[in-house]
Amino acid sequence: MRVVAFLAIALSLLLFSCNSKPSLQKYFVDHQEKPGFMVVDISSNILNVNKAKLTAEQTKVLSSFNKMNILAYKLDPKHKGEFDIERKKVNEILKDTLNYQQLMKIGSGKNGASISFIGEEDRIDEFIIYGCKSDNGFAVVRIMGKDMNPADAMTMLSVLKSSNIDMKQLEPLKAIMK
Amino acid sequence: MRKVILIIALVLVSNTIFAQSVFDKFDNQDDITTVIVNKKMFQMLSKVEAKDKETQQYINLIKKLENLKVFVTANDKKSDDMKSVADKYVRSAGLEELMRITEKGKNVKIYVKTGATDSQVKELLMFIEGSGKEESVLMSLTGTFELDELSSLTDKMKLPGGDVLKKAGKK
Repeated sequence: MRVVAFLAIALSLLLFSCNSKPSLQKYFVDHQEKPGFMVVDISSNILNVNKAKLTAEQTKVLSSFNKMNILAYKLDPKHKGEFDIERKKVNEILKDTLNYQQLMKIGSGKNGASISFIGEEDRIDEFIIYGCKSDNGFAVVRIMGKDMNPADAMTMLSVLKSSNIDMKQLEPLKAIMK
Repeated sequence: MRKVILIIALVLVSNTIFAQSVFDKFDNQDDITTVIVNKKMFQMLSKVEAKDKETQQYINLIKKLENLKVFVTANDKKSDDMKSVADKYVRSAGLEELMRITEKGKNVKIYVKTGATDSQVKELLMFIEGSGKEESVLMSLTGTFELDELSSLTDKMKLPGGDVLKKAGKK
């Protein structure tokens, strides 16, 4: 009996600790108002495609894509410490491989980029792209959708080719690129 | 009973630690450039529809790959560290030396772990020892593939030491 109780406690602790882990969503919400940070939401209508001209397959692929969320942090030379702290926080979140499955990664220490995803490999709910440059800042891009399938990547590309990207939605990002 | 739980707990904990490979410590170091491609990435890539025969060949190979890790450094100290870790790993994991080349002052060593047949490779480890300004490269590739398929991979991926690997594939 004691064993069962022990196991139950251990399990609940384990589950609890999983739940209390910081998520990217929370990180985005917590930081969108902070100085140095910028969060941009981009909906799928940015592509501005003529839906009447799409094939059935293209329409299906496009509808699996929902929106894009971008968080960017611009390095302020006066607050170098802050950059390190925030960079580490994001890295810690992405290290949680139970939630974020890493696809690939490239980089050296402070500079680098990685791609991860949430969901199953042929039904992806979210792609996360992270990039960091030690003298610039870092950015996290979340591409959200429902049941996105990497096998459709080629179809998505064909949609992108026929798209007419609405640059207005990207305007806020320009400020940070400077 | 308690002992059993303790053992299970220990196994679980040690599993999560050892699930990381010996080379992961080179990750996130300032002087080392890392490229890591995970199994899921290969699986996803392999689902992309191929338009021509060459791409199809490439995709067939990708399906068989599991993990690619490349570490590059120009720092002598880190390079020595890499070398000792690689040497140790070769011994502990039972890898066999496939070939050894000295070319333009660079020392290239390739080790493999063979599978069911002699030409089937489960793991490929390459270490290019650079001296002075030349960079050192440690590359580990796991999966289940044929040695002669490697050339199509090195052609497409532009892996470091590709020309040497090509020679190895022809052996």
